Amino acid sequence: MTEALATTGFSREAVIALSRRKGEPEWMLQKRLEAWEIYEQTPAPLGRRGDLGTLQRLARFHFQELRPYLPADGDGALPASIEEGLRDALVGAAERSGLVLQRNSSVVRVELSEELKSRGVILTDLDTAVREHGDLVQRYFMTQAVPLATDKYTALHAAFWSGGIFLYIPSGVEIEEPILAQIWLDAPAAAAFAHTLIIADELSSARYVEEYASAFEGEQPSLLSAVVEVFTKNGARIEYTSLQDLGRNVWSVMHKNSIHEADSSVSWVMADLGSRLTFSNIGSNLIGNGSATELVGVFFSDQDQRFVIKSLSNHVGLSTNAETLVHGALADESRVEFDGMIRVQPGAQQTASFLSEHNLLLSKHCRAEAIPGLEIGANEVSASHGATTGQVDEEQLFYLMARGLPKDEAERIIVQGFFEPVLQRITLDSLRSRLRRNIVRRMRGGHESEADWIEAQERWEIEGVDEGAVSFDRPSSEEEEIRLLPE
Amino acid sequence: MASELVIKNLHASIEGKPILRGVDLVVRQGEVHALMGPNGSGKSTLANVIMGNPKYEVTDGEIWFKGENILEYSPDRRARMGLFLAFQYPMAIPGVSVANFLRRALEAVREGPRPIGEENPSGRPAPRKTIPPSEFRNLLREKMKLLKVDNSFINRSINDGFSGGEKKRAEILQMALLEPEIAMMDETDSGLDIDALKIVSDSVNALRGPKLGLLVITHYQRILNYIVPDFVHVMFDGRIVRSGGKELALELEERGYEWLRPEGSEVAVND
Ligand SMILES: Nc1ncnc2c1ncn2[C@@H]1O[C@H](COP(=O)(O)OP(=O)(O)OP(=O)(O)O)[C@@H](O)[C@H]1O
Ligand SMILES: [Mg+2]
Repeated sequence: MTEALATTGFSREAVIALSRRKGEPEWMLQKRLEAWEIYEQTPAPLGRRGDLGTLQRLARFHFQELRPYLPADGDGALPASIEEGLRDALVGAAERSGLVLQRNSSVVRVELSEELKSRGVILTDLDTAVREHGDLVQRYFMTQAVPLATDKYTALHAAFWSGGIFLYIPSGVEIEEPILAQIWLDAPAAAAFAHTLIIADELSSARYVEEYASAFEGEQPSLLSAVVEVFTKNGARIEYTSLQDLGRNVWSVMHKNSIHEADSSVSWVMADLGSRLTFSNIGSNLIGNGSATELVGVFFSDQDQRFVIKSLSNHVGLSTNAETLVHGALADESRVEFDGMIRVQPGAQQTASFLSEHNLLLSKHCRAEAIPGLEIGANEVSASHGATTGQVDEEQLFYLMARGLPKDEAERIIVQGFFEPVLQRITLDSLRSRLRRNIVRRMRGGHESEADWIEAQERWEIEGVDEGAVSFDRPSSEEEEIRLLPE
Repeated sequence: MASELVIKNLHASIEGKPILRGVDLVVRQGEVHALMGPNGSGKSTLANVIMGNPKYEVTDGEIWFKGENILEYSPDRRARMGLFLAFQYPMAIPGVSVANFLRRALEAVREGPRPIGEENPSGRPAPRKTIPPSEFRNLLREKMKLLKVDNSFINRSINDGFSGGEKKRAEILQMALLEPEIAMMDETDSGLDIDALKIVSDSVNALRGPKLGLLVITHYQRILNYIVPDFVHVMFDGRIVRSGGKELALELEERGYEWLRPEGSEVAVND
């Protein structure tokens, strides 16, 4: 490996060395160099005056102490922690139709069912896609959905991306079983770039599940830079679900955006639980007439975590629809900024767009700031937005305690109830239960023992409003009675 | 021995404003007391203070239950000791199903109060006794039949989107399930239609007996025709100004409250 890549810090030399090492065509090298220029010339986004200061903190992150590229280990064997993470994946081996595993800078495993291969579905790492489907990559890679000049961080991403996932679904192909991607960071002081490019051709559909995780100890932070670009052609449907559960020594910057042709839809499900700091941007560009998007978001922050979440519903075509629903809880000293924008472009008649964001503050020291925005350039529009930030309601707490529930438990139940409306919108059962368990675990009072915590987890399914675990249903007999399903 | 709730010279205020100004009252298991009085006289305040609502500050007096001064006890401890309050305005708790909540409440109340000092231990709390779903199902089915509660409401969120009458019925369903020793019903009759009032009263009467003491807060004689009280008290301006037998309620129906107004008190109306 050439010296510039082996040392820490980003540089023009490192860009060239990376591209050479990959044996890339000239156009990709030029694209990387163009991005590097932009990176060098563009100031980092700093947020607004008087905000919670998270973007400023990100701007001061020591990018130059990171290694821009980590070569894969020789034998390709995975460490035990990643093997284990793969076993506990949101989509198990029997339930998925495809798998991509990225570790640090490299995609180390790609699997796709023979059936989907035979129907023309392409699932590869992005390097392979550059070689074999150069025309598609050249056309879609960081040009429209997340243009490389979106901000300083996307420019860095374009200059240094490695690994990466390419998914193409041909016209009319509907993929029922989800495709799973796991992105792992297991080295300190490293930068990993995860790029996902999904092209769903006309009338196709797919469910795609992405997990971001890390497995390394110590204080020395690493960076995960993720870009997800989704293109839905006429009538295509994509369900994109992501779970960000990175360790507290990881900082992350994410940009996810979809470009819609007519009557296509993308439903985004985003759960943010981990990382030290996450700057997350999610957008949908509803260009084609009749296109639609939905964003369901859940977050839970504690200790000194900081999240900045920005969403954009950009309405361009006629009769487009968007709904954004985000619920999050903050504990300890954590800080969350949410910036949700609905933009209705001139001529985007019959737009329907809704956004609601709710924060629940669980400590006196956490801070949340929610700024819903609305820009309307058309006149036949139905749009509404709202954001609330509140604490656990004292009267609700008293009500539950008056029925014998201890304060900790009453509080936990209220928080669970707060998340329930968004959890009900998540179609992936495993994610729903993962999130519930995470909520229970974070809510456990300091005095509760590990055994109690596990018990609380097990009981969760019957304590939440869960259709499966305890459900009262009417038997088919005429006699009216309630029945519990067997445990 | 019958459990006793003993209120002595109770003074309480909210946001610095005195509401209760020396309440004395004794309710024993097996007795039914009616508490009447004009709007804003402090009836709900009394019930909330007995249950331990932290919103109110007790400035003087004592509350004894089963021989213990419970003033410092948390609401959940009071509930586990056998106190119950059917709220005048039950809180909605979105996202939490009635069934799961009730099962937890029943487990908690059956577990009873934990020994003092072990409620928030630095070590580990006693393991929970869980109620098998089958047992809970049977119990709930029985109580729901009694209260003619619609099956569907068990899967709904607590009081969320319930009509006024449904909320009141759900409160009594909880009371029937949790089997308290002393229960307070704060205007359970308000908002109930005539049939519902009959159903609720019948259920309450079915629970009546030597093991249940009742404090029925109401504005209307009608519920007292069904749930006939042993004692009637009138609250005025944060004090009980008159106590008597069931005939006092009839007299109030006829004469109103004004004749009981203590000297020097002003009209207090809260809505
Ligand atoms: N948060 C508050 N701040 C100030 N005053 C309050 C507050 N809550 C209640 N009060 C006052 O306390 C007094 C007693 O109220 P309470 O609800 O106990 O009356 P009540 O006898 O139950 O009346 P009603 O028959 O209308 O239910 C009223 O004057 C009311 O306005
Ligand atoms: Mg009242």
